[in-house]
Amino acid sequence: MANAALKFDGVTAGYRGRTVLENLSFVIEEGEFVSLAGPNGCGKSTLLKTAAALLKPLDGSVYLFGDDIRTLRPAQRAGLIGVVPQKVESPMAYSVMQIVMNGRTAMTGLLHGFSDHDFVVIERSMIYTNVLHLRDRYFMELSGGEQQRVILAMVLAQEPRILMLDESIAHLDINHRYEVLRILKRINREKKVTVFLVSHDLALSAEVAGRLMLMNRGGIVSEGRPDKVLLPDLLEQVYDCELQVRNDPVTGSIHVSGVLDDLKSIGNKNTTVHVIAGGGTGIELFRRLLVDGFTITSGVLNGMDSDAEAVRALDIEAVIEKPFSPIGYPALALALEKALKADIIIVTDVPFGPGNLVNLDIARKALANGKKVLIAQGIAGRDYTEGKQAGKLAAEMVDEGALVWNSLHELMRMVNRES
Amino acid sequence: MKESCNNTHTITKTEHISFKETVPVLKISVFLGVVLLLLFLSLFLGPTGIMLPDTATPVGNAIMSLRFNRMIMGLLVGAALSVSGVVFQAVLRNPLAEPYVLGVSGGAGLGATFAILFGAVAAIPLSLPFAAFISAVATLFLVYGIASKGSGGTPSVYSLILSGVIISAICSSLIMFLVSMASVEGLHNVIWWMLGNLQPPPLSQRLVAAVFIIVGIAGSMLLASRLNALTLGREMAHYQGINADVVILVALLCATLIAATAVSIAGMIGFVGLIVPHVMRALFGPDHKMLIPLSALGGGTFLAVCDAFARSVLAPIEIPVGVVTALAGGPFFLLILQRKMRGAWIG
Repeated sequence: MANAALKFDGVTAGYRGRTVLENLSFVIEEGEFVSLAGPNGCGKSTLLKTAAALLKPLDGSVYLFGDDIRTLRPAQRAGLIGVVPQKVESPMAYSVMQIVMNGRTAMTGLLHGFSDHDFVVIERSMIYTNVLHLRDRYFMELSGGEQQRVILAMVLAQEPRILMLDESIAHLDINHRYEVLRILKRINREKKVTVFLVSHDLALSAEVAGRLMLMNRGGIVSEGRPDKVLLPDLLEQVYDCELQVRNDPVTGSIHVSGVLDDLKSIGNKNTTVHVIAGGGTGIELFRRLLVDGFTITSGVLNGMDSDAEAVRALDIEAVIEKPFSPIGYPALALALEKALKADIIIVTDVPFGPGNLVNLDIARKALANGKKVLIAQGIAGRDYTEGKQAGKLAAEMVDEGALVWNSLHELMRMVNRES
Repeated sequence: MKESCNNTHTITKTEHISFKETVPVLKISVFLGVVLLLLFLSLFLGPTGIMLPDTATPVGNAIMSLRFNRMIMGLLVGAALSVSGVVFQAVLRNPLAEPYVLGVSGGAGLGATFAILFGAVAAIPLSLPFAAFISAVATLFLVYGIASKGSGGTPSVYSLILSGVIISAICSSLIMFLVSMASVEGLHNVIWWMLGNLQPPPLSQRLVAAVFIIVGIAGSMLLASRLNALTLGREMAHYQGINADVVILVALLCATLIAATAVSIAGMIGFVGLIVPHVMRALFGPDHKMLIPLSALGGGTFLAVCDAFARSVLAPIEIPVGVVTALAGGPFFLLILQRKMRGAWIG
């Protein structure tokens, strides 16, 4: 039976007078891509330092590919486990090539220089991480993303069988983050290198890892497939705050975000705005209305529509119809009721088709009841109904006193004037 | 089977023959040429005039041998101070690190002062370098111990330098105290020694010093690629499979050995250990595999040339060589540093 890549067996570890890890046990199999997440100070870094023998366990043992880490010589250990720290700084002006060569230093004897094989490995690592063209540049003059790839090349030059990354992609911008992740995925797939990614970013962890370990207060509270670990109740308990967990039906990715619940308490206006939106046209409007302190209702929206996700995330009162279905009677009646209670009705630049045309009827009835109606300009261009009914309806409403808006900025001015 | 193995090996070799470290051969050759020329020219300078002594006459022969011996002293001491500076700067990742800052020179000086004033030097042969080395090592451990007290385990660079400066100050005031209490005869010896000079000591002392210094520099050279890795920090070096604590300890001992030996045979000569490493780094980059031997050569030559000036400019008065290193070297080095600092040390 193959030995696990990394095994913690009842490990207790910590610093002077303060234990951080308490009797921790877990196993990472060879070839896995595992993410470790958890709040600040939960022991992620301590775990990593213990795995790399930088910190000696107070109790218990750490095994790397079956060997107790205490029995491994430093150079042997470096050939098994490579660590990419959050940030590496070189005070001196080393070239990229010289930095990457450090990865093989421990494998060369004191009296021997680098062998041909060493240079082959160094070149291969630099190709893998796409830094070969930077070889003669000064390391410290590179951008953060380039530096991180150089460090990755240096660690890969150790030819480790398990690679641990400590928050090392957290401060990169999104394209560099994904570039590093693609490299990691490739190494994991092609070279069968086990990857252990420590990250704050729950969504990212869930996206790339086959398995997610969630840590809290020095112990592992949950592990498994990311969608089985990222459960709202568990996360709220671990992070001790209110959280939203959303599954993207298209990409299958998981989004975790906090709740800006105090947004609603900022304003104290007594004005209620009913928003007729759809397809994501309402998201930014919802946010601005909330910030300005309006009470918002919305509908009818279709489930799984991004506006429907937005009202759920922002806890806005809304009428939701079944996903991908035409708007039916009960929903329509409910939405009309809400619109008639509101002071202002806003129609966003949502396209209209036979399914949601009835939303315009809601606006019209509200207008007839003396409500202010603000319609986004250019509705005819988004009109997919037979006989251009939406465009006609809108034109009639404008004749009856509805206002037209061009930009969100203009709309917010109008709304604030009306309230 | 064997043949096929050889074949693949050859292929790899030719394929990657271009993928190697690039060694600036031309630059190094020019440097070696300049060094040899300067050393040769330094033999022209002396209190007896600017010319090569006529080695056919006994007097000329003696003068020549004197100048040659001082050149060797300059080479040894300059190399020792420079390499010690290179190693301290690498291990502590600090551009200000050098034997003086860490109290090593001060400790060596205190030990040497004791040995001179209490007659050990006269009574026991070779006691001077040993006294200097032992007290320098003791000082290093004291500094290291004080620095690690607060941080538990490995001291931070800041606490090391802070305690180094403090211990250094204590050492120099103790030296002052000893000097003020000394008899007139001892006083002269100590002052002469404290100013720093390259007057060759007895042959046996010179040989021991040469062995110490060569061993220390060789030891540092063996650690060169590990010192490169250590500049990324102790933690990163550990992850790369380098036994960081052992490398740091051995490197510090090597640097202390050569610095203390230099102090014991030539007294307090400042400036060399701090500035030569920076200039060599600016010229040849920070790779310690090249930096250490080149600094040894460059530092040695620099001190030998400074000494040639010191003994001849105001002849027959001899200026302390430390004055020359600072006065002559300072502006020249500032010029180089200003132009090339960017390529040497970042931050």
